[in-house]
Amino acid sequence: MTNVDDSWEPHLLDEDEFIREVQSFTFWFEAVEGYLGDRPYGHDPDLPEAALGEIERDQLVTILCNYCVGETAALEASSGLVRLAATNPSQIFMATQVADEARHVEVFRRRLEDLGVADVDGEIARRANPELSEFRRQLLEFVDAGQWELAVFAQNVLLETMEDTVFRYHATVADPVTAQVLDGVIADERRHLGFGENDLGRRLARYPMRRAELAEVRARLDPLILASFEATYRDLGLSRAEAPELGRSYLEAVERLGLAG
Amino acid sequence: MVDFLSQYSIQRWLEMCPQGYLDGTVYGHDPGETEAPEILEVDSLREASIAVTVQLIAGERCALAASSGLINCAPDDASKTFLATQTLDEARHVEIFTQRLMDLGVKKENVNSTVADLANPHLVKFAETLLEKVSDGDFVAGVVGQNIILEGMAFSVFELLQASAAGNPKFAKTLAGTIADERRHVGFGENRIGSLIREHPEKKAEVQAMQAEMSYHMLATFTDMFSDAGQRMEEAKQLVADKEDNPLEGVTWHGADLMSATPDVMEAVLADTVLNEFRTRLDRIGIEYQSPKVPARA
Repeated sequence: MTNVDDSWEPHLLDEDEFIREVQSFTFWFEAVEGYLGDRPYGHDPDLPEAALGEIERDQLVTILCNYCVGETAALEASSGLVRLAATNPSQIFMATQVADEARHVEVFRRRLEDLGVADVDGEIARRANPELSEFRRQLLEFVDAGQWELAVFAQNVLLETMEDTVFRYHATVADPVTAQVLDGVIADERRHLGFGENDLGRRLARYPMRRAELAEVRARLDPLILASFEATYRDLGLSRAEAPELGRSYLEAVERLGLAG
Repeated sequence: MVDFLSQYSIQRWLEMCPQGYLDGTVYGHDPGETEAPEILEVDSLREASIAVTVQLIAGERCALAASSGLINCAPDDASKTFLATQTLDEARHVEIFTQRLMDLGVKKENVNSTVADLANPHLVKFAETLLEKVSDGDFVAGVVGQNIILEGMAFSVFELLQASAAGNPKFAKTLAGTIADERRHVGFGENRIGSLIREHPEKKAEVQAMQAEMSYHMLATFTDMFSDAGQRMEEAKQLVADKEDNPLEGVTWHGADLMSATPDVMEAVLADTVLNEFRTRLDRIGIEYQSPKVPARA
């Protein structure tokens, strides 16, 4: 069993090793046990809360509400993908992703409660940014239509890359508790991204003409993702001059995968 | 409802299941354990074990499709969370029973064809009846079908198999973990659906009809599975009886002595046990149990 450390890249495994390691409950459990074993609800319970000002707290609540929107989209999509999976190992991997995404929803909702949000559902509905909600709608359309490749691309490549980019940046500027919660989520996202890249890479090698379809999906969804980054800057209280170039990082990361276009 | 659902969080699941009773296991059993030698050495017993394991895989595949399919039609976030844990539980069950099939000598590339060839047609119908409700986005019928009927059946079948596997610690341990999982699933079905049935009394007739149909296919599966088991059961009993320390000596399941009961008796005990469980659990959620048709014997 490969150790899941920070440098481990599941998408670099060859096909047989990938299926043996990544697409099993045992792998999943060994992976999450490493970084969740002593972190109920994603963080060390003894980690002290930082004192947040009212504006800072409000910005964090908005960000966490939008994380819940993204993670709920991923939960709904991955659960729908279980039945579309062509092989039992893919089905088992998707089931592990379902549990991961549900955990993310749970830890972010719990964080909102810790921050004093009484009506979590109401707050999410009020603060959800429209581009992210539209992304969720389009993603679920692919799932409902049984379009495995398009749904995996939208979810395990585009959405996961966006989240990876945002979460990594946010973890560097967040309060210690939120940063620790994000660390655990980021570790999960790497597994999901690895699956998307490996699964789609093999499919595209067999059916290269499908790249054009993925490029089309990307052209539709990238603007929604870039607009979500803008909303994140606003929620973090960053001016345009202060904003990191998350959009560029995202575009470069997707480009590097070479799956679309 | 909120308090009850808080017991079904991912965090609670992590503490109870992978960090609890599954801790230290490999494919659900202790590391290094193997199937009992007589199962691997006697062809008829190995084939019977393969046939039983195939039914377990078919049932768990159905549960995996149903639990994941129900997430999107769950009416609240906490139910989605519980169903996410159940999805992973069911995937684990598919994985460990598939591994058992390979431990029994089925080659990896032949797993799917073996399951397709040996899955009982009535069990397939049982699954189709449930999955039709899930595909229709019918949360109430889907949870009753899955968490009360399917899980109720699985719970009793696993308990019987576990009692019968007294001489096969590997399989008994594998089953112990799945039984613990099923207990949580059944509990969720009873707790969550009771309130939904009260809110939607118009669903009762449809749910009752589904229960009768699924129960019929379940009984027909039992009839098929026990109908040609006589010779194999006798052979298995003789082999364990010959052991210095007979692990089945004095072992009973719901009053049936596992060393002396005939296949007909075991089938009747299993059917009665499961149907009584259905009756009790359905009553708790306000659904009137429907007696199923009795399947014809071959």
